[in-house]
Amino acid sequence: MKHEGYKKAVVRMLGPGRTQYLRVSLFCIVISLIAGSVLLALLGKNPLEGYVSILQGAGFLPKARYAGHRSMFTDFMSLVNYTTPMIFASLSFAVAMRCGIFNINISGMMLFSGFIASITVGYSSIPAPFAQILVVLIGVISGALSGALVGWLKHRFNANEVVISIMFNYIVSYVISFFIQTMFVDPTTRQSVRVGDNAMLTGVDTMVGDLRMDISYVFPLAVLAVVLIGFMFSKTRIGFELKAVGMNHNASRYAGIRIGRSVIFSMALSGILAGLAGVSYYMGTFGSIQPRVIPTLGFDSIAVALLGNNSPIGCLLASFLVMTISNGTTYMSSRLGVLREIASLITGILLLFSACGGAFKALADRYKEELKSENKKGGSR
Amino acid sequence: MNSIIIDGLSFALPLFIIAIGGIYSERSGITNLALEGLLGFGAFTGGLTAAIIYEYSSIGGTASMYIALIAALFGGMVYAMLHALLCIRFKANQVISGVVINILATALTAFLTNQINASLFGRASNRFVLEVSPRFSIPLISEIPFIGAFFTSIYPFEIIILIVAAIMWYVLEKTPYGLRLRAAGDNPQAVDAAGANVSAIRFSAVMVSGALSGLGGMCFAYSISSNVSPSIFSGYGYLSIAAFIFGNWKIGPTFWACILFGFARSAGYSLVNVLALPSAYSDLVLTLPYIITVILLIFVSRANRAPKSLGEVYDKGKR
Repeated sequence: MKHEGYKKAVVRMLGPGRTQYLRVSLFCIVISLIAGSVLLALLGKNPLEGYVSILQGAGFLPKARYAGHRSMFTDFMSLVNYTTPMIFASLSFAVAMRCGIFNINISGMMLFSGFIASITVGYSSIPAPFAQILVVLIGVISGALSGALVGWLKHRFNANEVVISIMFNYIVSYVISFFIQTMFVDPTTRQSVRVGDNAMLTGVDTMVGDLRMDISYVFPLAVLAVVLIGFMFSKTRIGFELKAVGMNHNASRYAGIRIGRSVIFSMALSGILAGLAGVSYYMGTFGSIQPRVIPTLGFDSIAVALLGNNSPIGCLLASFLVMTISNGTTYMSSRLGVLREIASLITGILLLFSACGGAFKALADRYKEELKSENKKGGSR
Repeated sequence: MNSIIIDGLSFALPLFIIAIGGIYSERSGITNLALEGLLGFGAFTGGLTAAIIYEYSSIGGTASMYIALIAALFGGMVYAMLHALLCIRFKANQVISGVVINILATALTAFLTNQINASLFGRASNRFVLEVSPRFSIPLISEIPFIGAFFTSIYPFEIIILIVAAIMWYVLEKTPYGLRLRAAGDNPQAVDAAGANVSAIRFSAVMVSGALSGLGGMCFAYSISSNVSPSIFSGYGYLSIAAFIFGNWKIGPTFWACILFGFARSAGYSLVNVLALPSAYSDLVLTLPYIITVILLIFVSRANRAPKSLGEVYDKGKR
């Protein structure tokens, strides 16, 4: 057979086995990095230098020079700070997707919880640790409510959750924009008034030793969420039911699982995580809300969760990868003199290839079958 | 009152043509959330073409507009092939593919617009400025009160859209190709058994949706802002998805859904104008089409009937 060597290589690299998902994901990442190199080379830049400066910008490699009180470690801490909302958001998508619901409402939920937390606690004078705990609680509650609403509409009225979610995104965005512009606008920045430091979930420019860094207080919570969601799916009954509903509605109904409860529960849980993403985004990384803008992070998280194969630990790793690229590319664009927009372009290419992951997996599986049948033919002769 | 009709129509018709694209794709069995990205990429191609014509040739206003519209049509079509490739050849999850296509379109057009503006035209800008589209009124008929407003200050593209829409309706409902396309969405195995190529039909349907979305996107660019900028991605693609789901995946009812969205929007705007409210209130008004969608969706969803094989990868062996 002419292509046998090639097929064997594909099967060995991507074929069935314990680590298949991991290997397929890594393969997608490698292809997209190659595509990114081609892009950089087309722009007349050295791809290797580009990737090194991405790692430098994200705090994995030392830069040549640092401003005062800055170092590689402070860069890494700000990467952690930027990644925290992405971890929550991608978990949010994964939880709903496991139950067969496509939650495209994450952006809207983020905006909603961020706004509610801003105007209630953010502009109050509640002292520091209580204010921050309150912010997290508000994120959880507002997220749970909006998630449960979408789940209920889907279950009760059979309303297409994708369209409902998209409509909610726009309604939330415009209504909040209205309130910001009429009541909470900062005339110089044209954004909402910055929330007080007492309510911020990130210690901005905190001095630790000689270094000035952004410390995300909710990052440990994100890691905890990864562990808890992982536990829920692998060890608990409700997690099993969610997965069963996601795989086959009719079979689960026949097995006595209450579909409506599972759908609403998973959407509420997804909403809680989206709410946490919202507060850690608006009251951590930014501190204010830009009217009429839906956070693209909510959409990017869909693809991040996909890259992480909708598994909690995969979401954590994929979030770090994507945020490393988008954070580090800012530094790369200034070093190499390419446009800043290349950051989202490289991320987009990565997401594109990760969408094809299933196809690569199927291809490897098919080759394996073909090789097996060819071997059998050879043996009988 | 007249402005409600005039602005409502100029918003509803591009929405309508994009929704027809969506109908083609979904009736053939391919979920198409990518309309947003397709219309944006189409508008980008059209805007680029218009900018090149303006810079390097002597072709004037109206002719360049028609060329830009055709370019947008082809741009959307070519970009839609990516969605078709992912969904049909690579068997990716169609919803996820749509989302990725949208993310990529935003990133790609932003990058290319900046890069091309910098290297080709030597200016730092994130938009292509278009020439203002001419508008015309039909004499005599436009004098009639109320009804005349439908024939007053029409954009040329509105006529084009109506003609294209009529052709698309005819192709979908009355030709053998349309029959096969609709069958591919309901029972692809039967289409295969009848000797037609399901993949090819679906591929062509997605390309049609790209072409129509590109055309619609360019119309939006001409009517709303007279330039092609990142603000072209403001959810019109998603709105048209809502429109055709409302219209139960049929072209006729979808037309009325689009008209409803368009008029709700323009009526809201003129309400803000008449009451002399501050501009922030237009944000509240802009939610009108979306709120109407949610409410109506709650009522019509039980009766809705999506194509049977929508979103499923075609598997020959399945029964």
